[in-house]
Amino acid sequence: MAVLLPAALLVLWEICSRFAVVPPRYFPPPTTVGWVLVDRVVAGDLGAQSLVTLARLGSAFAIAALPGVLLGLLMGVARPLRDAVEPYIAFIFPVPKITLLPFLLIILGVGEPAFVLTGATSAFFQIVISTLGGVQTMDPRLLEVGRNYGARGARLFWKIILPAALPSIFTGLRLGLGLALVALVAVEFIAAKSGLGHLVYRHWQMLSTPEMYAAFALVGALGLLLTRGLRALQARVLAWQEEVGSL
Amino acid sequence: MRALGRWLTEHWIAVGSPLLLLVAWEWASATGLLREAFFPRPSTIAAHLRQLAADGTLWGHTAMTLIRIGWAFALAAVLGVSVGLAMGLWRQLRDGLDPVFAVIYPIPSVLFLPFVSFLVPPGEIALVVTTAVTSFFLIAFSTTQGVRQIDRLVVEAAVHYGARGWRLFATVLLPGALPLIFTGLRLGLGFALIVVVAVEIVAASRGLGALLWLSWQILKIEDMYATFFVIAFLGALLSYGLAAFRARLLPWVQDVAEP
Repeated sequence: MAVLLPAALLVLWEICSRFAVVPPRYFPPPTTVGWVLVDRVVAGDLGAQSLVTLARLGSAFAIAALPGVLLGLLMGVARPLRDAVEPYIAFIFPVPKITLLPFLLIILGVGEPAFVLTGATSAFFQIVISTLGGVQTMDPRLLEVGRNYGARGARLFWKIILPAALPSIFTGLRLGLGLALVALVAVEFIAAKSGLGHLVYRHWQMLSTPEMYAAFALVGALGLLLTRGLRALQARVLAWQEEVGSL
Repeated sequence: MRALGRWLTEHWIAVGSPLLLLVAWEWASATGLLREAFFPRPSTIAAHLRQLAADGTLWGHTAMTLIRIGWAFALAAVLGVSVGLAMGLWRQLRDGLDPVFAVIYPIPSVLFLPFVSFLVPPGEIALVVTTAVTSFFLIAFSTTQGVRQIDRLVVEAAVHYGARGWRLFATVLLPGALPLIFTGLRLGLGFALIVVVAVEIVAASRGLGALLWLSWQILKIEDMYATFFVIAFLGALLSYGLAAFRARLLPWVQDVAEP
């Protein structure tokens, strides 16, 4: 079934498009899209533009990861800091991060830093929240055991708190990376002049639909690779945790 | 009064920190430490917000956004719960749709706009359908999960007592899945706001996203900030309001995806 249904859908699309049941101009046959995809990834702009998106994603994630984890951990152990920072997190977290783009465009000017930072903020808040959650929901008995065995301060942190929070930190990083990709592709679609998101936009405007679908499929493949791949990695690296979660 | 005092001693940092920031911001912009062109004073922003509200501009855009969210959410909820229930009940369908969803789900919804605009009449309907895409997946995933996590023993007991077909579904499976369905609906509503703003930035001339983008393009920075605060307020209202609503409606369950 896992192979059959997707295959059946593709074949149905192919037939409908070939026999013009649906307008082929808007819904080109999957085989055509596939050829364009292979052709353009090897020779044309698709490969290069994917790299642009990936480079942005890498920078955004690098900017968000360490500060996010640090802030989350600090908020977890220092109550006053948590009280002081939590209102901002609660305020910004539900906001669509794309709304930060115009502010960053004004402050930093139109260019890479503004695009990348929009993606980074998207990841940052998720990472902070997951990390904080990991510290807050750790089993209090672990802390007591550590204290009873004489662990205090830095030792308690390194030996007990950090390992206990590690699964949540990893989840936060994984979700953050996914959110950064979503935000970046949306930014590319809206404002940037390069990257996979921009390709979808440009080929939409030019109505070169096979190219549009090819770029679209690449974004899907990238997302799939990140979400499923990292989840598999998490299950492997942190084998002691029970459930990795389905989203 | 005394309760308020107690609450304040408990939460004074959480209240004081944003107040302090606002005062510092006001002061820094007034003295020129922050460039007022980029960071207008909070009091100026508040004045612009009042004016936008007074001349009706803000209400028009907010209403537009809310109507779109409402339609998109309704569409996503009806389709998402139905597909999710079907996937939870029929293994074959679940196995078949899983890989399809896995590929489509991580794609940012705003990218669906071109595809959707080929599929349905462009304009308002395309905006609403695009907004519904991500919410649909979240609701369908949660609902499937909700059906699947029902204790097998409960289902078997019900079957032994003669519950079949519709009765089994309505009295055991649906109530059992309800907490996760609600989680899905809550996440879906939150995402509808996120997506509708992005879609409005790209393809609408009315709505809060459009107002934000337009204010940027004509460099009305104060209006941009004012619009941002309205969007943030809506976001907080949707996510925290709904969490409170769930606590009242389903007091016996713990939310699995508390933000």
